[in-house]
Amino acid sequence: MTAATGPAAPISEPSADVPPAAEGAGALRIRGVDLGFTTRDGGRLAVLDGIDLDVPGGGIVALIGPNGCGKSTLLRVIAGLLRPDGGVVTLDGGPITDPDPAIGLVFQEARLLPWRSAADNITYPLELAGWSRERRVDRLATLAELVALDPGVVANRPAELSGGTRQRVALARALALEPRVLLLDEPFSALDALSRERFDLELLRLWERAATTIVLVTHSIAEAILVADRVVVLSPRPGRVVADVPVDLPRPRDLADLDEAVVSRTAREIRAHLGDAAAIAAGLEVTA
Amino acid sequence: MSRSAIGSVVATLVGFVLLWQAVVLLSGFPEYILPPPASVFERFVEAFLQGIIQPHLWTTLVEILLGFAVGAGLAVIAGYVLARSAVVERLLSPYLVALQATPILALAPVMALWFGPGLLGKVVICALIVFFPVAVATMVGIRSVDERLLELGRSLRATRRQVLTTLEIPAALPSILGGMRVGVTLAVVGAIVGEWAGAERGLGVLINLARGSLFDIPLLFATLLTIALVGIALYLLVVAIERRLVGAR
Repeated sequence: MTAATGPAAPISEPSADVPPAAEGAGALRIRGVDLGFTTRDGGRLAVLDGIDLDVPGGGIVALIGPNGCGKSTLLRVIAGLLRPDGGVVTLDGGPITDPDPAIGLVFQEARLLPWRSAADNITYPLELAGWSRERRVDRLATLAELVALDPGVVANRPAELSGGTRQRVALARALALEPRVLLLDEPFSALDALSRERFDLELLRLWERAATTIVLVTHSIAEAILVADRVVVLSPRPGRVVADVPVDLPRPRDLADLDEAVVSRTAREIRAHLGDAAAIAAGLEVTA
Repeated sequence: MSRSAIGSVVATLVGFVLLWQAVVLLSGFPEYILPPPASVFERFVEAFLQGIIQPHLWTTLVEILLGFAVGAGLAVIAGYVLARSAVVERLLSPYLVALQATPILALAPVMALWFGPGLLGKVVICALIVFFPVAVATMVGIRSVDERLLELGRSLRATRRQVLTTLEIPAALPSILGGMRVGVTLAVVGAIVGEWAGAERGLGVLINLARGSLFDIPLLFATLLTIALVGIALYLLVVAIERRLVGAR
């Protein structure tokens, strides 16, 4: 299960600040991924256009871009839920064509089964994978602790939980099968700004302990900088990588780090690329 | 049920009995047209003590329960297939609607002709009448399962069977049980209609006996009361199962 055993490894240059827990985390390699949808009138709508991206094992990459740029679509391709029209996604050298237990996915909404308790939602993937009850109960304790879930609410149904707690449950569920890669699709966007910062920090603490690579789709430049090693900027549809901005902040990070000069410099750079991206799209529309 | 809810149920019941008594007093109808509540209740207790009603009641109950089980069971399967296959829905729905549009009263003699005056004919009639509401409720329930939950299932590599048992059925359960609430009361209707078309025993037979050869109008009303109670009891049973299974979501 180590990143370096696949024939295609090493996939990218080793990152300087990969934490010790990264052993066992998966390396993603995305090459030339194209994807289009057929529109109602039979036309073709290009959503992703030649996406190239490497995420080293144990790294955190944030994907940022305007609405409708295909961020979530790209995440679904990596998750094996969508097959690209062209290009490949590999995890530790093996191509991903179908959902894989090594990849955990957290959606924008918690997406819990309303008829199950929080505990049964967390262990749902284990149940589907055929784990025995005792093993599930064991694993549940570890997972609840990992995402700092209040033990008083594990028996509650989702409707009885707060938005933040539901997202914790969803996160625990995504981690249930010890994925090597965790994909997060704007997981905290429904939370208020203060909770969101707290969750971002908790995500970092969690990442330090769990051996996992993270790809985070976000709308927030601040969130991207706080969490990620690199911020990848996508253009408006069809999504293309327009910039890959490194975040030069030491780890472990804290909210105070957001006051550093390097943060505003990075944010300015990302904003400039987002602006470029919009301009490119506008230009393309004029020439098309 | 809360104390105030029980109170209002009792109050409504008392009001209904008083209204009935008032109609009897004001109209001056003779007992063979509309017996007063007291004599119906008296006859009801007496008939049970004499063991007149029980054999008919058991016969009818068995018909209802078997017919419901067969009809609802097949309807859930059919509703699922209808929901997931557009071709099947196009081909079969005209027949389903035709079946539903044909009065069960008109079908009952045919069923009696084909299946005889015994249990089988009644089970078939009950099953036919239960089928439509449960099949439609299942179809609607399965169709309205949240696509996002199905995507979650896919991302977790759920097998076809796991999707069915852990996502589709639990998600559609409130709808399916809603159809069963309607179905179970219709099963009572089916059993009585089936008995009218030809039977040796059953509450429907007892109604005919009380009205005809016995000319015991209080017994006729006591039988009606029994039928109503059976319907209420079965309905409440489905509601209780619903509470248990669906509960607080």
